[in-house]
Amino acid sequence: MIRRLFMVLCGSGVVALAACDWMPGRPERPTVDAHAPTMAFEPLWNTHCAGCHGANGRDGAARPLNDPLYLSLADDHWLHMITTHGVDGTLMPAMGTAAGGPLTPAQITVLIEGMHDHWGGAALQTAPPLLGELGAADAGATVFASHCAACHGDDGTGGHGAGSVVDTSFLALTSDQALRIAVICGRIDLGMPPFDGRRGLPPLTDQQVSDVVAWLAAHRVAHPGAPYPAVTSQGAQP
Amino acid sequence: MIRATTRSVYDWFEARLGLEKTLGPSLTHAVPQSAKWWYVFGSMTMLLFMVQVMTGICLSMVYVPSADEAYASLEYLTYDQQMGWFLRSLHVWGSHLMIAMMSIHMLQVFLFGAYKFPRELTWIVGVLLFVCTLGMGFTGQVLRWDQDAYWGMGVGMAMAGRVPVIGPEIVHLVLGGPIIGGESLSRFFALHVFIIPGTLIALLGVHLLLVVKCGINERPTPGVLVDKATYRETYDREVHRRGMPFFPNAAGRDMIACGLTLTVLFVCAMMFGPAGPNGRPDPMLIDTAPRPDFWFQSIFAVLALLPPYMETFLILGFPLLAGAVLILLPFLSGDGEKHWKRRPMAVLFVSVLLVSLGSLTWLAYQSPWSPVMDAWSALPTPAQYVKGRSPLALQGAIVVQNKQCRNCHALDGQGGRRGPALDGVASRLNSDQIIRQVIQGGGNMPAYGQHLTPAETTAVTAFLMTLHDQWEHEPATGRRTPRD
Repeated sequence: MIRRLFMVLCGSGVVALAACDWMPGRPERPTVDAHAPTMAFEPLWNTHCAGCHGANGRDGAARPLNDPLYLSLADDHWLHMITTHGVDGTLMPAMGTAAGGPLTPAQITVLIEGMHDHWGGAALQTAPPLLGELGAADAGATVFASHCAACHGDDGTGGHGAGSVVDTSFLALTSDQALRIAVICGRIDLGMPPFDGRRGLPPLTDQQVSDVVAWLAAHRVAHPGAPYPAVTSQGAQP
Repeated sequence: MIRATTRSVYDWFEARLGLEKTLGPSLTHAVPQSAKWWYVFGSMTMLLFMVQVMTGICLSMVYVPSADEAYASLEYLTYDQQMGWFLRSLHVWGSHLMIAMMSIHMLQVFLFGAYKFPRELTWIVGVLLFVCTLGMGFTGQVLRWDQDAYWGMGVGMAMAGRVPVIGPEIVHLVLGGPIIGGESLSRFFALHVFIIPGTLIALLGVHLLLVVKCGINERPTPGVLVDKATYRETYDREVHRRGMPFFPNAAGRDMIACGLTLTVLFVCAMMFGPAGPNGRPDPMLIDTAPRPDFWFQSIFAVLALLPPYMETFLILGFPLLAGAVLILLPFLSGDGEKHWKRRPMAVLFVSVLLVSLGSLTWLAYQSPWSPVMDAWSALPTPAQYVKGRSPLALQGAIVVQNKQCRNCHALDGQGGRRGPALDGVASRLNSDQIIRQVIQGGGNMPAYGQHLTPAETTAVTAFLMTLHDQWEHEPATGRRTPRD
């Protein structure tokens, strides 16, 4: 009796399995061509941008792009251009196919739109424009003393809580435009506040920003980054 | 009535074939009483070979062995054909299990001293069967005709091409030309479907004949030595006195083991599915990471790791040496002690072999020698290495990403492992040493002096000098103390 029951159960099991169309090992046909370019924001960001700008657009080595102020001030056409061609003299590489990079123009558009969708915010009227010319270095020294010296030290070589912004190697790797953006937007992920008139800090005008950037840029030297500043090609300085 | 009819039909055939007279004695020949569960691996391997033949025949009805259509026919089998994926799955898992069972069978035979007198030829034919089975594995992988297949064939042929004098001719013969082309697949198809299986079946026949003729090895007893002068006589006497018929006693155990094997095979095929196909075999697709099947992973690791001066020896000399040792083994130690407890060298050899193969296979899956090509743009600098850094050090962190240092050097466990991890590098090197290493390279690291500006070198050094170990040695006392 038990044997017969066992046989019936086994038989039913086999029939049930035979009718079963689902099994864990059954492969699914890939719906997307593995070599077709990705057109979704997150995989594009995580593959091409996260390395420098951070996993969620913050806490990376380079400027956070998960910054509503920055995104509200930055022009999409300008973002497209620097993403495609990179920024000469800095570490921002050319990512567009037009300049030998991996991203098609359509993918770069997806990235820019995705940044706005995920991290964007309303435009802020009190902030100075993101793009601008250099101002007067002398006037910039005054602005630096009043707005920046508290953290970066009186001469900019570092002070309480922030490092040197006049280091010649740092300046050599940073464009004037990047300095301007840093002054306006700060680095909100690392504690440097934006000077956009919020948070109780004295706001900076367009001219003041141009001036302080000019003061910083005035610290650039012809041959930055000598590992032993005290040694010249003629030998050790006295 | 039915029984009588069946009996008369059977008798009609038996009168003409005489199977009872020819096969009967083989089925009921006496085997040692001690031949128990350790002796089922050979039967399991043979069962898996039969499964391979049957599933292979079914696959060949759909598979098109032409370079243009092979991949499409595999996709059809995998995604469209009713239960085609399961057939492919059975075939690939059958191959994995067959090589596994054959390896276990060989190790058991080796450790039980079953290769000794008078079963030398059984062992030698077994070794040839093993080589044929590996050949089936390799050619089967090529028939999958995907990225793994294409590059696997390339590596195999590059190895064959190293053979002195006739190397290029071998490559030409196997590939049907100097490079992988349309004819190559046809040749591998012929090898996989006709030549190697034919050889395998012939060798298997000889192997089974020898098993019956020379008898199944008795379970060894420590201290009982093989003496060529008296062994046969003693064996026959013992088997005659205390043996049991192969069928049904030993055969029953074989059948239970075979049932288990089939169950494991079906479960693996059902749960884990078929292998690949992993991308069209197009050499222009550079975004690919081809890998061999499980059994060749250890060779994959050896080929990646061996220093250049050992290449020719290891690629050509080692297989010859290993083959010669295996073939000569029964002649080198054809008599004497059989039990593994009295053969320390045999146990040591098996242990070293298993540990080596296991380690190499594990390394192959890790493949730390391969740079992680998208690490520079996809793996962020760990947030704890960004916080509290100076503007210059942050630029240095960008240099580490931008110059693709992360592809070979990990930070916080993420990144390539070709070079040492950079966490704690400031506790190992001072700034001058870091600058020298970056500019001049050293070890496996290329020199970056030509690729970095002085400002970039200064920045990267500033960043790396912030990466201290959590614990550091005190030079004076040698004690490890927490930093800060």
